[in-house]
Amino acid sequence: MCLSVPAKISKILPDDMAIVSIDGVSLEISIALVEELDVGDNVLVHVGYALSKIDPTEAKRTLELLQELGSAGREPRS
Amino acid sequence: MSLVARNKIDVTISLAADVIAAVEILPRARPPLARLFAGKPASALLKALPHLFPVCAAAQQTALLSAIEAARDEKIILATTQRRMLLVVAERISELLRGLLVGFPTPNVSAAAIRSLIRGLSMLVGGARPARGSIRREAIAQIVASLAALGMPDEDGAPRPGSPFALCIAALDEVDLRSISIAHSFLSVADDRNITERLLGDDPTFCHCPDLGGHAPETGPWARQMTRDRLWLGRSGAVARLKARIAEIRQLCDWLKSGAHIESAEPGIIESYRLGPGRGAAAIECARGRLYHAVELDPQGQISRFECLAPTEWNFHWRGPLVRNLQGAGLTTRRHQKAVRAVIESLDPCVGFTLKFRKVDDA
Repeated sequence: MCLSVPAKISKILPDDMAIVSIDGVSLEISIALVEELDVGDNVLVHVGYALSKIDPTEAKRTLELLQELGSAGREPRS
Repeated sequence: MSLVARNKIDVTISLAADVIAAVEILPRARPPLARLFAGKPASALLKALPHLFPVCAAAQQTALLSAIEAARDEKIILATTQRRMLLVVAERISELLRGLLVGFPTPNVSAAAIRSLIRGLSMLVGGARPARGSIRREAIAQIVASLAALGMPDEDGAPRPGSPFALCIAALDEVDLRSISIAHSFLSVADDRNITERLLGDDPTFCHCPDLGGHAPETGPWARQMTRDRLWLGRSGAVARLKARIAEIRQLCDWLKSGAHIESAEPGIIESYRLGPGRGAAAIECARGRLYHAVELDPQGQISRFECLAPTEWNFHWRGPLVRNLQGAGLTTRRHQKAVRAVIESLDPCVGFTLKFRKVDDA
């Protein structure tokens, strides 16, 4: 049950690394497992690795779901 | 994003002299899926799972679908079961491979070969129907070439010297703990009935702190290998788990190459259980271990209860495999971090965790 988070690539670095932005926070990740990525692409990130490239609609839907889950977790249990 | 930030396990190691005196595990915040999806159509959860858990999307979707079908008492045709099995196994191979890259400073060739292998798997099972004819031959050739580039072991079980697999094993051997030989317990298909019945039982703690007769057995590639070989005693270091991971990749690829027939598949890849009217559960063998889902449907067919038990809950249980592996082990100052990290990552290379050490008075 490990969650992944969508992120946008802001800079491609040498050695299959990249800088991504997650919720306004910059993070260095590995992009070794995903081919042909460019600045502006959306990827799913899991423990420091890009898992796959996703389209902006999918990224938006995933962020919404994560926000819904976060809110559900904060609601008091009935 | 706070939920994602909290989706980490906190491990604290207490050291008396250079011996691990205690291992404290603070579990991660589990995503409140049950609360979010209660009262909604099953299809809503089915669509959401791949977004939330892309690492094991096929396993999660198959678990939920199978649990719902069991609750509805629906019979599934063989072709559908085989198709699902193919998807789950292909995902398992991809995840086992990804786990080899995460945490290992292996040469670039391994990333390229892993990408190529994942492309081959996708060609083989990624279409609406399993590949046939020339596409199948091309996919299998790509898988075989990628495995060779990684140094897949021959019949003798040793990877080609100098290959990425061999380098991974050698690097890990440098830091691996010299653990003592202890008795182990492993989760298997034989435990499904007991577990699935308790998932929808009255104990609300079972899904995040499970036990089997007071034990927290290990699940994952090494547990599967030990169960297959009927071994209950052995050294359970990070190297042993890495070798089991590599051996399993080979075994699963061989199964795919030979036609992926249900009758030659390992037991328990997909199992479903009817637990009464409107109640069902399923167990899926995924890369990290055995994954369970259980559902209760209301008369309108909507989800009134959903429970999930992930492999992490066993492997990182407060008295489970990680604790058993580390407790009492001797560490040298130089190897503290690396040795403990190696054991954690050998149980699950893709789990997010924080690691702290503290010295305790051994007087």
